[in-house]
Amino acid sequence: MGEVNLTDVRKEYEDVVAVEGMDLTIEDGEFVTLVGPSGCGKSTTLETISGLTTPTSGTIEIAGRDVTTKPPKDRNIAMVFQNIALFPHMTVYENISFGLRLRNFDKEEIDRRVENAVEIVQLEGMLDRSPDELSGGQQQRVGIARAIVREPDVFLMDEPLANLDAKLRVAMRTEIQRLQKELGITSVYVTHDQEEAMTMSDRIAIINDGQLQQCSPPLECYNRPVNTFVAQFIGSPSMNLFDGQVAGDALDVGDFSVAYDTAGTPLVDGDRVTLGVRPEDIYLASDADDIAHPSTPVTVSVDVLEPVGDQTYAYLLAETDGETTELLMSLDPDKEINEDETVEVVFSRDDVHVFDGAGDAVVHSLVDPSAAADDVTIEGEA
Amino acid sequence: MSEQQYSGLTGRIVKYAIHNSTDVYRLGFWVGLVSFIMITLFPFYWLLVLAVTPDNQLYQMGIVPDNFNVGVFLTVVQEYPLHHYIFNSILIATITVIVCITLGSLAGYAFGRVDFPGKGPLLLLLLVISYFPGIAFLIPLFELLTGSLSILGTPTPDLYNTPWGMVFPFTMLSLPITIFILTTFYSQIPDGLEDAARVEGTTRLGALFRVIMPLSAPGVVTAAIIVFIGVYREFFFSFIMTDGSPENWAVLVYGILNFQQQHTQMYNMMAAASLIGIIPIAVLVILAQEHIVRGLTAGGLKE
Repeated sequence: MGEVNLTDVRKEYEDVVAVEGMDLTIEDGEFVTLVGPSGCGKSTTLETISGLTTPTSGTIEIAGRDVTTKPPKDRNIAMVFQNIALFPHMTVYENISFGLRLRNFDKEEIDRRVENAVEIVQLEGMLDRSPDELSGGQQQRVGIARAIVREPDVFLMDEPLANLDAKLRVAMRTEIQRLQKELGITSVYVTHDQEEAMTMSDRIAIINDGQLQQCSPPLECYNRPVNTFVAQFIGSPSMNLFDGQVAGDALDVGDFSVAYDTAGTPLVDGDRVTLGVRPEDIYLASDADDIAHPSTPVTVSVDVLEPVGDQTYAYLLAETDGETTELLMSLDPDKEINEDETVEVVFSRDDVHVFDGAGDAVVHSLVDPSAAADDVTIEGEA
Repeated sequence: MSEQQYSGLTGRIVKYAIHNSTDVYRLGFWVGLVSFIMITLFPFYWLLVLAVTPDNQLYQMGIVPDNFNVGVFLTVVQEYPLHHYIFNSILIATITVIVCITLGSLAGYAFGRVDFPGKGPLLLLLLVISYFPGIAFLIPLFELLTGSLSILGTPTPDLYNTPWGMVFPFTMLSLPITIFILTTFYSQIPDGLEDAARVEGTTRLGALFRVIMPLSAPGVVTAAIIVFIGVYREFFFSFIMTDGSPENWAVLVYGILNFQQQHTQMYNMMAAASLIGIIPIAVLVILAQEHIVRGLTAGGLKE
């Protein structure tokens, strides 16, 4: 009943195209996060779902009804805003019951629902307060209560945690997840924080330059990014990307090369490629025995070390003929490694991604799928 | 520096002033304050003196009244329909305020919160029109409002001696300032609140009247007061658009003027009527002041 369907949605502002060719289906009860850098069109997409913006073209369906040109009030949606947007001239009770009162629910029904919503978000006893007497977290809970009290088809959240402090944000994140599971309401959540997206969602829709890049479960986005943008956006720290080309039986990125037979892939000798390796998939050569398929070692010098506690980020430089390639690896803080030292590192060949000249993924592992047990498929298109 | 330079009275004063600058500033403050109060309050005092001086002694009236004739305040109410004039004024001003705030809110919403082509020039045009003197519109407006014009064969309605004959030009003259004030206030309400209202189930108009207007209370009250006072004290159109009888919606200023008859000029009654006429405005401003203060402190937006 709460399914959301976007078909070829496009939104232009004067001469700027904010969203283009957006096809997205959100199943009933699903939690989908729209994520991307600022200005990528994720908020615009949400606004077209909410009806605060009418798309230039394309259709939007909510719960099986075409709502493309319907105003927000006729869509049976509820929204939680980044700036919380509680009505300052109303008490908590009036804020939460605003939508119900507009729809002329009778007093008893309103009281019952408000009571229930307040219990869910744990704000009992605050109904008579005005929003400015509440803390940031409490205000956002009121915002959430205002949304759930209407029992909407779809729950829209536009960076609801962005204005909260770091600790509260993590706590609220869990709370929103719990709530969503409990209520089972279809939810669309917008954030620029990939970590929030990874931890909360059933599926992540990664958007860049107004276009949907990939919409998959979090781990699939992480393990099988469809292009270099997704590869870099998901995961922290970002994936290392090395520009190079196919040179015979190897992928040559200048300062080092990785053996790979391109037979069976669309790549041919001389094609431009981009190699993607996550910092956590680079190992010291001395630990090569720990991984199934290590690559040939690459000699690098250690530039900078950044200990963050549970791991240490090492910025490495691979150097030949005066040219340098920068690599970032994350390693166990117990490893004895010093700045300016020269070390050898290997990549886990199972986890090296190859992207073609246009940045689209070709393979997500250099290990032959028939040799290895896992089923690596070839994804050509974004 | 020798003492010689500060000799004489002037010298001593200058010396004192230099060494006690705080006293000089304080003196300056009091001189300024007292002058300001004198300038603003003296006319009221003068009206009072004028009102209570018996009319046969008006020709030798001084700063302090020689005789008190307090009965004049009763006379103007009992023997003349002053209350009727005041009622007319308040009613016409109220209608004008309602029309101005309603239309001004719609315009203020558009100018303050919606982007549309030609917004800048349109606002400028409004500003330009607001500087036109009302008298410039006198003849066309008079013709329009007395049924002397016909538009597409239909004669315009004759609004002479009706409240609408005054409400119409007053609205026209007061709208630009109303729109400007409301545009400023409405534009400051965060978009999120309007979005929230619309998602919760209001239309754009609903959001304007349920959320944006209440949150702009100080602006709305200010605009309303300005319009109300402007209309209440307006003379020109009030004088043109009625024949001066209270039954025909003559307003307070016309009523006061009616004390000035062909051969006699009852200045004391005019003064008394003026003083009574001030009361509604004074009450209104005192009430509104509280509203404005409350509106300003309500706040609480998180943006």
